[in-house]
Amino acid sequence: MGDESIMYSLDQGTTKTYQIPIGHLDYKFIEKCTDVQHLEKILRVLRSGEEGCYPDLTLFCEKRIEHLAPGSRVLRKDKPAATAADFTAEEWETINGELMSWVAEMNEDDNKPEFLKTGTLHEGQDNLPPIRCSSSCLPAFQNEKFQNKQRNKKNIPRDYSEWDKFDVEKECSKIDESSEENNSKARFVSRPPPPLIEKQVNTTGMTKKEKIFIATREKEKGNEAFASGDYVEAVTYYARSISILPTAAAYNNKAQAEIKLQDWDSALQDCEKVLDMEPSNVKEIVLPVRGEAALGKAEMGNAQRKFHSKGGGSKLEDRGTQKQKESTESGLKKGTEEKKSQKTDHEGEANGYLNSNQTSESPEAGQSSRSHGAGSLSAGAAHSTSLPPAAAKLKSEGNELFKSGQFGEAVPKYSEAIEYVISVGERSPDDLSILYSNRAACYLKGGNCSDCVQDCNRALELQPFSLKPLLRRAMAYESMERYRQAYVDYKTVLQIDSSIQAANDSVNRITKTLIDQDGSSWREKLPPIPVVPIAAQLNRWDGGNFTSEVKPKSPTDINKEEQLQMNREKGEEKFRTLKNEGNDFVKKGKYDEAVNKYSECLKLNTKDCTIYTNRALCYLKLHKYEEAKQDCDHVLQIEDCNIKAFYRRALAYKGLQIYQASVDDLKKVLLIDPNVLEAKKELEEITQLLSLGGVAVADCQQKQRKKITIQEVTDEQEEGQLETAEDVVADNLSSKEAVQKCVPSRTCEKLTISEPSNAYDFGQIVNAVNASKDQSACADLLTITDPKKLPVLLSNKLEGEIFLIFIQSLAHYILGKDPGLVYQHLFYLSKAERFKVVLALLSKNEKEQVQRLFDLLTENQNHQYSLEELDSLKKVYEL
Amino acid sequence: MSAAGLERPQVVVHAQQSLNYTVFDCKWVPRSARLLCLGSAPRGTGVLQLYELRGGRLLLLSEIEKAKPIKCATFGAASLQQRHLATGDFAGSLSIWNLEAPEIPVYSVKGHKEIINSIDGVGGLGIGEGAPEIVTGSRDGNAYNQEERVVCAGYDNGDIKLFDLRTMSLRWETNIKNGVCSVEFDRKDVNMNKLVATSLEGKFHVFDMRTQHPTKGFASVSEKAHKSTIWQVRHLPQNRDVFMTSGGAGSLHLWKYEYPAQRSKKDSEGAEMGVAGSVSLLQNVTLSTQPISSLDWSPDKKGLCVCGAFDQTVRVLIVTKLNKV
Repeated sequence: MGDESIMYSLDQGTTKTYQIPIGHLDYKFIEKCTDVQHLEKILRVLRSGEEGCYPDLTLFCEKRIEHLAPGSRVLRKDKPAATAADFTAEEWETINGELMSWVAEMNEDDNKPEFLKTGTLHEGQDNLPPIRCSSSCLPAFQNEKFQNKQRNKKNIPRDYSEWDKFDVEKECSKIDESSEENNSKARFVSRPPPPLIEKQVNTTGMTKKEKIFIATREKEKGNEAFASGDYVEAVTYYARSISILPTAAAYNNKAQAEIKLQDWDSALQDCEKVLDMEPSNVKEIVLPVRGEAALGKAEMGNAQRKFHSKGGGSKLEDRGTQKQKESTESGLKKGTEEKKSQKTDHEGEANGYLNSNQTSESPEAGQSSRSHGAGSLSAGAAHSTSLPPAAAKLKSEGNELFKSGQFGEAVPKYSEAIEYVISVGERSPDDLSILYSNRAACYLKGGNCSDCVQDCNRALELQPFSLKPLLRRAMAYESMERYRQAYVDYKTVLQIDSSIQAANDSVNRITKTLIDQDGSSWREKLPPIPVVPIAAQLNRWDGGNFTSEVKPKSPTDINKEEQLQMNREKGEEKFRTLKNEGNDFVKKGKYDEAVNKYSECLKLNTKDCTIYTNRALCYLKLHKYEEAKQDCDHVLQIEDCNIKAFYRRALAYKGLQIYQASVDDLKKVLLIDPNVLEAKKELEEITQLLSLGGVAVADCQQKQRKKITIQEVTDEQEEGQLETAEDVVADNLSSKEAVQKCVPSRTCEKLTISEPSNAYDFGQIVNAVNASKDQSACADLLTITDPKKLPVLLSNKLEGEIFLIFIQSLAHYILGKDPGLVYQHLFYLSKAERFKVVLALLSKNEKEQVQRLFDLLTENQNHQYSLEELDSLKKVYEL
Repeated sequence: MSAAGLERPQVVVHAQQSLNYTVFDCKWVPRSARLLCLGSAPRGTGVLQLYELRGGRLLLLSEIEKAKPIKCATFGAASLQQRHLATGDFAGSLSIWNLEAPEIPVYSVKGHKEIINSIDGVGGLGIGEGAPEIVTGSRDGNAYNQEERVVCAGYDNGDIKLFDLRTMSLRWETNIKNGVCSVEFDRKDVNMNKLVATSLEGKFHVFDMRTQHPTKGFASVSEKAHKSTIWQVRHLPQNRDVFMTSGGAGSLHLWKYEYPAQRSKKDSEGAEMGVAGSVSLLQNVTLSTQPISSLDWSPDKKGLCVCGAFDQTVRVLIVTKLNKV
């Protein structure tokens, strides 16, 4: 900007205030200027009108500032108050209506003053707090001390009879006390502690209106404290509000603050209160909060083993919140006693999503009855007939106990049942597996994770790939912090039924933990994930029928339909979230993870083109060109003129070095939309590559394929991202920009073949070297060039810059290896055409460089040249 | 105006009433749709008017003339049931009035030799517990009371002093370089949280009063607005982080204070020091060409406020969308 501003100021002068060059009051300048302060000055000049009135330019400048700094003070304008014209008719109506109704309400209160007043004695004298004075607020002990002092004073002139009663020890301890008090007083003065806020508010003598008023006020204080991040204070104020007048909102807010303080138990309690008070309010507000509380509790459980039992379960509950909501809703619809259900819901924790998986076999069966009616229970009973009657009885007893939350008592029941079944010797692996699975659930609830894992293992031996034992084992592993095993189990679960949100979330969570633990190579440390046979997979898009195979005892048909419906909706929802997650990863540049997300998406829906194109983009970024190409191919099969797919396939072809195909695709892109600049640029570049490549490919094919790195300068890439292609086989000739690192090796290879031929080739290379100022490349060039041919090769093209880079590369690279060669080059360089001219035009600094080279040569003198020869050469170089 | 602009709070003039005297202060009567205007009549007497909001207009209910012009008033120490008004006048007397029988004051005392410029109270209106207390400030500045038993006073030389009533000592003082026009705590009945002080030359300072550093005192942020004296600052009773300033050029600015991520940090010696947040402008309007000298939010209706200006007009304003800030 410097030069321009000087130029402008010379041309037109500056403004009177601020001395801004007049040229800056210009659309182009303002558009490019990023200095907000400067723009603000310009705006002030424009507004003042001292350089003339330019309303459009002023507006433009304002917009520019707003774009750069939306909070800038110059943008504040004097505005009249808003009027009806600034609002829509409805808004205006509500604003006025609200006020009118408020006024009416207030007047109504006024008209019956007894409503506001308590009655006869509206402020009893005894109700009034004591008048405060400066000492009344001092802590009690200070008052005492005051009295003590007075007494002491009085006691100082003691008479003899008093001395008789004098107790030395007592007096000593008094002195000690007072000195302590002194200390505490000193502290008090230095920094008064903020007064403690009482959790209770004295509400005697208040009317209901007053109570509401004050309770609201306390709640507002709580909200403010919450907003400022002081959660302890917030909880206190909410408690005060509740002590005046309990409201669901205050409880709910208090729960939220408690969550922030990680006081999970209180939070849960408060949530329960809300539920008790306003059951209809449940869905929107309370459940998320309670879920969070439960989750927090669960996390705490992970940290502290003793809470394990609650941990595993309630974590699940939160993950299942979504579904729980649904089940609660359906429960409401069916008119079941909702309150009761809320409570069971809370104790039974693990139910949410299991309901949605049509489970009938296990303890949860009882709970699913909550929302799905009694069908499932009876189904469970019907199913258990295949057990010996005694075992069936034990099992149902166990189920009952489990339902009522007595997990410890349920374990022996199941154990007995298991023993019985085994002793009877009946081979019914299904039932045995279920029994084991149920016992595992009890263990999990009781926090006995290792036994839970054992039981799950047994259940899985009997019934491989059954969902619940797997899930329970995963949860147990997770609570035992054996994340790898948990991950594998969750993954397996997802293979069986990909719609289990809890498993999905857990996988994500564990992935994070594992990445934290093991770094990027965490996957390598995983045990192998077993492949689930298709027969065992549920909830695929076409997988509805499989359900019956795995779980032959699905409850009622109605339930099934509901389930399917639910699953479908969930699938769509999940698809969307996965896609969004993928997109987020792309934005963050985490292409690997994005690919995973998209792949999961595709498991759900194979028809969405955008997923393919997005994944193709990721593959491109990851240099997996073949995969990218396949994705694009797939899209183009579905949609034959998808412009993104064409473009990305072009890039993939480019990556695969199939330039012709790439050019074809790019042309198609331009055919569809000729305005795609990126495509045009790519096309140009690739066409160049194509023409250059013809020669180069031939050249390089003669040589052995050798790995070199190629750095493509691809600024015009879509996201402007710099790609560094590594380990790309060098049967490709880089574009002309591809100089930096790859040049040295490549130039010399080329030179050995083409260098001796003519001055033109030599000139080309020298120009390239010169353009990049690559001394090492130049050194290589000089090493393989016969010094005697130098004058011929240079012909009349010797220039100052070329001369200089020769000198530099000779000094820095060749001198160390072969001083003789340096001498030879210098000697023959002096024979070149235009040498004298170039020499005459050298600057002082450059001459010094030449001098230094000669000095070095003198130091490194050897048999290849004598000092006399060097001296004479020096003279030629006019040193 | 852009669509985004409409999402911000808007200030609407709901009613306005021109007066035949200079209005110094206006106050909402708690739990009612009535408001009080008080000031100085041309002949040098004091005027106190009671208006009621009815159908978009202000209806004069009663008017009383007093010997001395009344400068300021507060309901801060009155109970919700009694709603006694405390006023300070040009002669330095503090009087308490029963508005239903306004002929003689319930209580009157001459506290200052000169004008009482400011008055504030605690213990009433369900704000804070404990005995009602009133504090007055004379020629030498403004004063406001607070639950933590502190009084803050601003002086015309730019000093702000915080007095601790429990120990009867000066707890903190600072200087903001320009005369202090108005100081207010964001709430009276919580532990000191924030203090806003406005000044003559159009700047205001927000102090975070939670953390007091032994040497540096309280952290603060300042903002320039109005291009003229900021006469008054008033916090929204329903949200302490929103406040309105009134300017000498007849403008009102509505601000929001944003807390920093961490409100305190340790300095190099390990002492706690506060961290100031930032203020953002929510809305600004110009209502008059004359200074707006008084401002009062309704304690009962969020967003309703009244302001009196030296163009001898009192305006009832509605600020919309305060729930969304």
